[in-house]
Order: sequence, then structure tokens, then C-alpha cells
Amino acid sequence: MASKLGLAGGIPERRVRPIWDAIDSRQFKNALKLTTTLLSKHLHSPYALALKALILERMGKPDEALSVCLNAKELLYKNESLLMDDLTLSTLQIVFQRLDHLELATSCYEHACGKFPNNLELMMGLFNCYVREYSFVKQQQVPIKMYKLVGEERFLLWAVCSIQLQVLCGNGGEKLLLLAEGLLKKHVASHGLHEPEALIVYFSILEQQAKYGDALDILGGKLGSLLMIEVDKLRIQGKLLARAGDYAAAANVYQKILELCGDDWEAFLHYLGCLFEDESSWASETINTPINPPKYVECKLTHLTDEVFDSCVENASAFVQKLQAEASNDSLRNPYLSHLEIERRKCLFRKNNDDNLVEALLQYYSRFGHLACFTSDVEAFLQVLPPEKKMEFLDKLMKNSNSLSVVPTRALGQSITLLKTQELIGNMFNLPVAELEGSAVQMAELYCKNLPLSKDLDPQESMHGEELLSIVCNVLVQLFWRTRDLGYFIEAIMVLEFGLTIRRYKSLDVKNILMETASHHILPQMLASPLWADLSNLLKDYLKFMDDHFRESADLTFLAYRHRNYFKVIEFVQFKERLQHSNQYLVARVEAPILQLKQSADNIEQEESILESLKCGADFIELSNEIGSKSLTFNEDFQSRPWWTPTTEKNYLLGPFEGISYCPKENLTKEREENVRGFIERKSLLPRMIYLSIQSASVLYKDNSEINGSLADPKISTELKALLERYAKMMGFSLNDAIDVVVGVSRGLKPYEVFGSDVIDWLNFAVFFNAWSLSSHDSGQQGGERTPGSWHVVNSLLENYILGKLRSIGPLIQSPQGDLPILVKLVTEPLAWHGLVIQACVRTFLPSGKKKKKSGSTDQSISLLSNAVRDAIQGLCSVLEEVAKWSQDQIKIPEDNKIDLLVSSLKRNGGAGKVFNILETLASSPNETQLGDRISQALRSWSPVDVGRKIVTGQCRVLSEFWRICESRIKSLKTLKQQIAQV
Amino acid sequence: MTTIRRFCCNDLLRFASVNLDHLTETFNMSFYMTYLARWPDYFHVAEGPGNRIMGYIMGKVEGQGESWHGHVTAVTVAPEYRRQQLAKKLMNLLEDISDKIGKAYFVDLFVRASNTPAIKMYEKLGYVIYRRVLRYYSGEEDGLDMRKALSRDVEKKSIIPLKRPVTPDELEYD
Repeated sequence: MASKLGLAGGIPERRVRPIWDAIDSRQFKNALKLTTTLLSKHLHSPYALALKALILERMGKPDEALSVCLNAKELLYKNESLLMDDLTLSTLQIVFQRLDHLELATSCYEHACGKFPNNLELMMGLFNCYVREYSFVKQQQVPIKMYKLVGEERFLLWAVCSIQLQVLCGNGGEKLLLLAEGLLKKHVASHGLHEPEALIVYFSILEQQAKYGDALDILGGKLGSLLMIEVDKLRIQGKLLARAGDYAAAANVYQKILELCGDDWEAFLHYLGCLFEDESSWASETINTPINPPKYVECKLTHLTDEVFDSCVENASAFVQKLQAEASNDSLRNPYLSHLEIERRKCLFRKNNDDNLVEALLQYYSRFGHLACFTSDVEAFLQVLPPEKKMEFLDKLMKNSNSLSVVPTRALGQSITLLKTQELIGNMFNLPVAELEGSAVQMAELYCKNLPLSKDLDPQESMHGEELLSIVCNVLVQLFWRTRDLGYFIEAIMVLEFGLTIRRYKSLDVKNILMETASHHILPQMLASPLWADLSNLLKDYLKFMDDHFRESADLTFLAYRHRNYFKVIEFVQFKERLQHSNQYLVARVEAPILQLKQSADNIEQEESILESLKCGADFIELSNEIGSKSLTFNEDFQSRPWWTPTTEKNYLLGPFEGISYCPKENLTKEREENVRGFIERKSLLPRMIYLSIQSASVLYKDNSEINGSLADPKISTELKALLERYAKMMGFSLNDAIDVVVGVSRGLKPYEVFGSDVIDWLNFAVFFNAWSLSSHDSGQQGGERTPGSWHVVNSLLENYILGKLRSIGPLIQSPQGDLPILVKLVTEPLAWHGLVIQACVRTFLPSGKKKKKSGSTDQSISLLSNAVRDAIQGLCSVLEEVAKWSQDQIKIPEDNKIDLLVSSLKRNGGAGKVFNILETLASSPNETQLGDRISQALRSWSPVDVGRKIVTGQCRVLSEFWRICESRIKSLKTLKQQIAQV
Repeated sequence: MTTIRRFCCNDLLRFASVNLDHLTETFNMSFYMTYLARWPDYFHVAEGPGNRIMGYIMGKVEGQGESWHGHVTAVTVAPEYRRQQLAKKLMNLLEDISDKIGKAYFVDLFVRASNTPAIKMYEKLGYVIYRRVLRYYSGEEDGLDMRKALSRDVEKKSIIPLKRPVTPDELEYD
């Protein structure tokens, strides 16, 4: 093409190069200057224009860039004689893509391909465009043409992948697979296949149509030799045989795999699946398959007769024994776990095999008890045992603890395993407080005793026995549950901080994909916190990461196409979908704008401009409508979470929650999915309801002609009413019943408890109901009251509830588990939205100059309303002043007093502090010869007061932010008060 | 107890327990996905029961002529599964693939000059220090370029140590 002749887009390359150099070194001004010169010589060169657009876009001038791009596009279309080269088109493509106008790039390529129908390079560009747009059908058509043109295998595979995408991710019927198969068959007959990846795609096409026999024939034939790694080939063969129902042959294949890779656990499970003729072993993944499936391996045994089962077990056992005998090194866990799995299946089948399983577990302990992964290895096996058998196992293990290994690190590992097993079984929940405390003390002593083992370790390595500290911490949380002595919490924090003093971690580096899997550690708490700046950064970073990925994912998919890794193409598209359905992502998308709305709630003009940027909440209404039918994915990594970590639904720290430590939390996914769906459905109505409430209060008594928005008065009222109905329905009530509930509670006829855990939603409802009453003509019948009544409802609901909370809340330092988060929510949500309604009303009262004089009857309504608003302002102001005063009182307590309070909670007689004392003793006089320089020094730097200070400072920061929010709200209300006084 | 298989996108959602360790870098998405799109054979994960990620290795094959080689970009094992020779298994796998499928002459890797435990481990696996790369890590710490010859390099020419250290801009590949 043109570039081969030393031309770039029809321009000599030597003239273009300096421009690219300038762009690459980010000297955009210089690049622009050079381009202007170039354009003066090549006035109508689309390529020169594309370059200019590219530079403008990089300089942050998207509008100019777009207009230059469109200009270039027009020239391309108009001038028949001009070159249609890929360089120009791909440069335009880059700019269009960055400007979020993929469709324009696509139409350029479509045009070019129409003009030069057999140009491979242009067709590739067009294919790339369709990949970016995820238009699977068009994406299929282009490479088919390319394939017909040059007969290359890769283009055929591009088309085949596009077909698979239509079936798996689009709405293409499975019949399409037949087409793909036909294409491949024909090609193989004439050309054979040359890429192993192509063969794998071929297999998957056949597999999806259940044509396992055909696939096996191909695998056994000449093409099979494309797969160079024997085990890979066997894995495919085993799976195909099993899915075809030829379990005997499949079992043989899996035996072979295990003989080659004795440690392959999955292969063993498949092997058992074959013996027991259980197809559930090969269930295929869907988009919402949990990322961490339950530890319990599903299996089906009921279809087997006693004889068949026994003979299968006999075969499997013999094979496992052979594997054990052949295991070349002691560290292979698979042959021994396989034995456990066989015993587990026997338990499931007969129910009278518990003793054998216990025995096998004990053997496994004697071999691998020192490994850190022991408990996670055996978790699934313990689950089939009844509680008393679990205890029996534990008792037997405990007896073992007298005969620990002579190697100190091994013995330590075994001891830790014992404790972890005890925790896993849930035994600790049943111990009396004294015994529980005793075991925490023992663990701390064990930790101290073994610290010398870490003397020569690199500071970056994990210390021996470190895990003990987190188990101690778990026990201390339970002690808090039982005794309500806050000291245990403080002690738990001290224990963890103590560990950090010795092994200095940097802070956790949660970035990139870890934001999806690890943010759950703090996100739910942050959403209820007044640390808005931090929350805003958290949400922004996370959303940016996700959106960036969605933007670049297609380019990476194209990269996989280009490098002929067809299987990855499908994987990448499915992965993008999984992330798009992430529950956390959807929550963040709703919470981010709501945070903005909270932040600007004191200033109605700012709030309105935010609402405008959110299309007045219309998109969120759409999300709320869709969410019910959307499947959600849960990608959070729960394995790294201690079991007591509070979730959005439950604060486990406030227990007791029987059984939580060994209840696999991933089983709760279904329940969580419902919760999250409900949450998003409800929350995403908020922006629109806020918008409509402001409108509703603004159009009050105004002439309709003055309204700028497209909504006229009756429409606002109708829409708001419909949303109120939906909101009420989500809380389980009809609109009228919901109104009765809020009215009832506000008059003291019903207790606040009827709101259940949805207090905030109910108060929001009351606020929006009041706003709706302002413009509605039928609210009189609905609520049984005219306007001032609904004002009264909201005011008294907010006042009584908040003041009630304040009265019951203790000093924060002594009851950190208290009601601060709910207090923050009350002030920053319903109270803020109510404040906006008030602001909108006051605005309508103020003379704008243009207003005509209102008639007498209107005057009367105005004075009625302005009285109501005045009362509301007064009420909110005094509530907020109380809240601000409470915060200020907390802040004012001298820091040292607070620290004293914390530290002294560990030094009372009888109660928390026993573990703490052990650690203190160690730190106060470290044995330098035993512990080495580094650890001794670290121990000497240990300071409980510093830890106390960290807690206190953190709390103060939260309170100060909260106080600041209250103060700014008070200030804004006072201004309104002055304004309304002039009406 | 270890299934070693090709790394797939969903594993990115499972590897938190490995990557929260402060010595393991979490790269951006296009980095991982470029490796998956270009060198899927060189990116493997070891998985225990319940789909627990035990560790993974990430690498590529590149170069020209006799410097065509496999490269280890990252190898890491979760704390729970350390001291079970898993890293060795993963390294052997990548060497095997570089040798048999990639037909490479050698495998190389970079390691912080201060990371003595890692250097010792690589030496045990047959790697030698080929050269020192000055200020390779963020312009601060030196890196060591370690190599192991594969069967195609019959005379083991690729691993004869260089006498002088090099600077990062002298490196042929990044």
C-alpha cells in the first residue's frame, strides 16, 4: 500500500515522522505546529487532518478533535481519487475511539471496504471495528470474506470464534454451531489444520453440540498430534470420553494422567466421577458460577447399587495405594487426600463409615499436620461428619499433641493446625468463658515461646507462628460476644498490632483487579462513613479501573485474535461480561452519584447542576428497572476475610452468631444476590426522586410558563407518585398503607420499630411524600392531610428519631459499636433531602422580579406554607445543633484521657488483658541472644499507647468530619431562615 | 494435591490471597491480558481443592536467533502453600515448555539483588547469574539477570557470565 512507497497517507514519510516523534514525546504544541505546516501543503489530506485531530484530542480538546475528524471523514468520502489507506483510517479510528464514537470509525472502514472490496488490510481494520463494538454477527461476515479471498486458516478461525460468541454471549441459536463445524470440516478436508489452538476450538464446537465421538475420532487421528503435551491431550480425551458416557475408558485415561502427574487433584476427582458414573463432575461454567465454589465437592451416588459401589471403591483404593507406593517424595499430598475422598464417599453412601474417615484424617494429620494448608485441605471432609464425630476427631488429635515432632518448626506447625482445626470445627463456641480465655493465653504463650525460631529470617518473610495471633484475635472477638467487655476488642487490636510491629508490612497494596476482589474489606463501612473525600477516591479509583478495562478489553481480544489464541477470545469476552455484572460495580455506580448529591445538598444550585449531569436520574431509573432481571456476579475474595468481618447485612462483631466460624460464607450468595438487587433497585430511584422533589417544591405557586424544564406540573406529580408507589412496594406496602405507617409513627401511634432495619428508607419515603404533597392535588385524599400536615410528619419523624438516638448513644470511646453510622446516614440522607425541599420552597418565595402579583387566595396558601417551612427550618436546626454538640463533646475529651480509658480496659482485674500481659512481658525484656537483633529491637519499639492513640485519632477524624457536615448544614439552614423572614 | 493448568481470566479474581503478599506485584489488566493473549502456554496456575490458588507463574518467549529464550516475568506462591517445592514445579514447567514447544535456547529472569532467599532458590534450580543490571528496579535497586541453558544450547553459550554490569537501556528486551 501507500506506506510501502515511502508514503504515509499519501504524504512523504519524512514529513510525517517528526510529527509522530513529537507526539510520542508528548510535545503536543510542537506536533500541532508541524501539522499546521503540513496541512498548508496538503490542504485536503485526510491523513494530515487525522493527525491534527489526534493531537487535539491528546491536548484535551475533544470538541475540536471531533470536528477535524469529521472533516477528514467527509474528505475521505468525497474525494474518489484519494487513497483509502489503513494508516489514515487507523489514525482516525484511534481518535474516534478515544472520543467514544466507535460507530464513526466503523462507518469509515465500511465505506473504505465498499470502495476497495478485496483489500485485506482494510478488511482487517473493519473486523477490528466490529470486535470493538462486540457486533458478533458482522464480526463473522468479514473474516469469511477474507477466508474466501486468501484461504488462510486464521481467518476461518476468526469467523468460527465469532460464531461461538454469538452462541455463548449473544443471542445466536445453537444451530450456528453446525455452520461453524461445517466450515471447519471443509477446511480440514482440503488443508488440514496447523495450529493447536484451532484444534481446541474445533473440539469445543463439537463438544457444545454433544458430538463427543466425532471429537474423539479427530483427537485419535492425525490432527491429534498438534497437541504436543501428552497430559493436555489426555485431559481432553478423558473429558470427551466421560461426556460421551464411556466411563470405563475415561477412567483409564484419568489413571494415566495420575500416573504422569500424581499430584493432580482435579484428575483424581474426575477419575472417581468416572468410576461412579457421575456426570456432575463435568458441569460447565456459566457467567455467574461463583468464583470460589463451595469447598464441598458435589457428587451423585444414589444411582449405584451396593455391589457396584463396593467394586468401584475397591478399584479406586487399589489404585490410590499404588499411587502412594509410587509417590517419589513425601510432599505429595494427592495420594493421601485421594484416600480421604474415597472414605468421604463411603460416608455419603452408607452413613456408617465415620470411624474410617476419622482414622484417615488422623493419618493425614500425622503426615501433613505441620503444613499451613492442613485445615483448608481437610475442610470438605470434615463437613460430612456429624458433630459428635468431629469432636471425637478433635479429641484424638488433642491426645496426639503430646507426641509432636522433634523438629521445632514442624512441632509448631502441628500445634497451630490443632488450634485451627478446633476453630474450624466450631468447638470454641461451646467452651466456657474461662476455658476460652485459657486457650487464648496458651496460644499467646506458644507464640512467644517460638519467636526465637524466626531469629534468622529475612524481615520480609512471614514469621513462624504468626497465624497464632490471628487465631487469638478470633477468640478475643468471641470473648467480647460473651462478656460484652469492650476490653477484649481493644485487646484483639493490640494483638494484631503487636504482630505488625515485629513483621513490618507496608500497607496493603490494593490496586488493579484487587480493587474488585479486595475492596469489600472496607467499602461497606466507608459507604456509611462521613469521610467523604476518602470514599470519593475509593469509588472513583474503582470505577475508573473497571471502566478502563471495559474500554480496553476489546483491543486485547483483538490481540488474542491476531496471535491466534482463539480460546482466549471467548474467555476475554466472557470475563468482561462477568465484570460488567459485578454486584460491587453496580453498587458503586449508584453510590458514586449519590455521594455527590450528599456532598452538595447544602447548595441547591450545585445540586441541580449535578442532577443535570446525571440526566436528572433517568439512567438510574433504567438501572432500577433492569436490575431485577440481571444476573449478578460476586467476585469478592472471601477467603482472605476473618469470619467476624462485618458485612453490609450483618455486623458479625456484635454477635453472638452461632456457627459463623465454620459456616461456609459463600453459601450465602443467593441470599446476598437478593439483598443487593433490592438495594440497587431502591437506591437507584433516589437521584430521580430527589430531582422530582426539588421540581415539585419549585413549581409551587409558580406560573407554569416560568418552568424551564420539560416537565410540567402534573407530570412531575404523577411521576413522583408512581415512584413513591414503587418505593413503598419495595418496603412491602401499598402507597396508602405506607403513608399510614409514617403518619402513625410520627404521631406516636406506632413505634419506630415498625420501620425494621429500613429506617433510612422509610424516612426518605416520608421526605419525598412531603415533597410530592406540595404539588399534588390528590394528596389530601391520600394522606388525609393538606400540606402542613405532611411537613409535620417529616419534621417530627426526623426530630424524634435523631434525638432518640442521641439520647441512647453513649460516649463513643466506650461504645464504638454504637449508632454513629446510622446517625451519619440520618443527617446525610433523609435530612439532607428534606433540606433540599426546603431550599426549593424558600427559593420560590423569594421575589425574582419577574413574578406577577399573586391573587389573594394564593397569598394565603403561601403564608400557610411559609409557616410550615419556617417550622421545619427551626426544627432541623435545633436537631442538627444537638448532633453537632454531641460530636463536639466527644472530640473535646482530652486525647490522653481516651487513651487511658482504652489501655486501662486491659488492666482491670478479671476481664480482658491476659493475652495482652503476656505480650507486654515479652516486649519489656526481650532476650537478645535468643531473638536476635532485629526482633529484639522491634519488640522494644512496641508501644500500646501508640496503638491507643491511633484508635483515638481515627475516631476523632471521623467525628470532626461529621461535625463539619452538621455545621455546614446548620449554616445553610440559618441563611434560609433569614431569607424566609423577609417574605 | 496440585492441579497445574493454564491460567485463565477468572483466576485473576481468585489470586488475591497470593497477591496481597507485599512482594507480589499486581499489574494492570492489560499486562496480564497481553500475556494471556500472546503467550498462554507460559502462564500457569497451581490450584488446590476448592479452587484455591496455590501459586502461579507468568512468562513469555521472545528474542532473535540464539537469544530466542523463555522469560519468567513472575512466579509466586501463597503463604499457606510455601515450603512444598511448588515454585520449583512451576519453574520446571515453564522451562519444559520453553524447551519443547518454544524451542528456546535458555530461560532467564530478573531478581532484586537484595533478595537473597530467591537468588538461592534459583541457583538451586540451576540458574546462574549472567549479569548485573544497574538500577533496574525503579532506578534504585540493581537487578540480577539469571539464566539457565536449555537443550537447544548444546554448548551452554547463553549462560557464560558477562564481566561487566549493564544498564537498563542496554537490555535487549524489557
